[in-house]
Amino acid sequence: MSASQAVLTGWMGTAKSAVQDDARSKAEDQAKEEALAALVSQYAATLYRVAFSVLRNASDAEDAVQEAFVRVLRHRDTLGEIRDHRVWLIRIVWNVVLDRKRRMKTRPETDDVSDLARVLPAEGLSAEERAAAAQHHAHVLGCVEQLPEKERQVLMLSAFEELNTVEIAAVLGVTESSVRSRLFRARNLMGGLLNHSRHSAK
Amino acid sequence: MNLPNPYRNDSNEGAAAMNTADFSKIGSLSATEATLRLIATLPAPEGLAERVQLRLDAEPRTARVLSWPAALRPGAHGSGTGWLRGNAMRTAAAAAIVFAVAGGGWGIYSRVQPASSARIIAMPPRGNAPGAFSNAGAIRTPQTANGPVLAKPIIASPVIVKPNAKNLAKPTTPLAK
Repeated sequence: MSASQAVLTGWMGTAKSAVQDDARSKAEDQAKEEALAALVSQYAATLYRVAFSVLRNASDAEDAVQEAFVRVLRHRDTLGEIRDHRVWLIRIVWNVVLDRKRRMKTRPETDDVSDLARVLPAEGLSAEERAAAAQHHAHVLGCVEQLPEKERQVLMLSAFEELNTVEIAAVLGVTESSVRSRLFRARNLMGGLLNHSRHSAK
Repeated sequence: MNLPNPYRNDSNEGAAAMNTADFSKIGSLSATEATLRLIATLPAPEGLAERVQLRLDAEPRTARVLSWPAALRPGAHGSGTGWLRGNAMRTAAAAAIVFAVAGGGWGIYSRVQPASSARIIAMPPRGNAPGAFSNAGAIRTPQTANGPVLAKPIIASPVIVKPNAKNLAKPTTPLAK
């Protein structure tokens, strides 16, 4: 085999491997897209509920979910390194909603009442009962807002049945014992706040 | 009646009976839990996943200014086996960077000669600081350097003046005549 033939064969081999690499990278990109789509379909509703519990507005919560997934899209190359996607996603959306809430003005309780009346389930309730329920829930949420930030965050996350104490600790980036102590303090403070408002109403 | 308190860490059966405030606290807490759980279990709006997916499809995929070639992309050959993932290659790359930086520094150092130090030592001006004692006009005189030392010191020899014979022979006074 002459030298020119050897060079040609080598060049053909290089070109062939480049084509194979390109096809492989396309396949990997496709796999990442599919993984991301699976995450969206699996966890979008959970993230929406987490976002709504903080923002208490449907469109804001949906925007927050979209923003969270856009952040995930930027880190899609590292998706394989994430151990627990659910907790990781909740942590992302939690940071997004806290960021948004800091920028937003304080919501008046009347906004909460109207928004809650719109989204709360109305099975077997009259319009008046539904309005009263919305008002009650808005009042409770107003008391939750008065809690210190750390205690409030733990209390709100503890309401999600999907999250246990270890996962709440992972979302907030604190230890499990501090989650427990914050939850204990939050419940005590909440009881005091609601009692105080009840007595002052009488 | 001795109801268990779900909001206390200790489940002590022998604890004192709860008073009315405790009951009302439990009622308040259950109301809080009920509200938060209600919100936590609200159904997501219809078509949320589709809308999120549409938004993601609209996002640009190429966030990088320069994309790596497929063969050199980290993690291109399977998960975690890209060329930069290997410890040997990482070490080699780090060593190459260190050599390049050190070589460049040595090249600059070897070309640039350090400036000779000044022979004149600048002394700070002698001035009286405000509020300090004055020197009362005293000026420090520096010790002068010793002059040159001669190897053979010159000793001044006394000049001997010889009397002139002519002058001695001829007395000038008239008595001598």
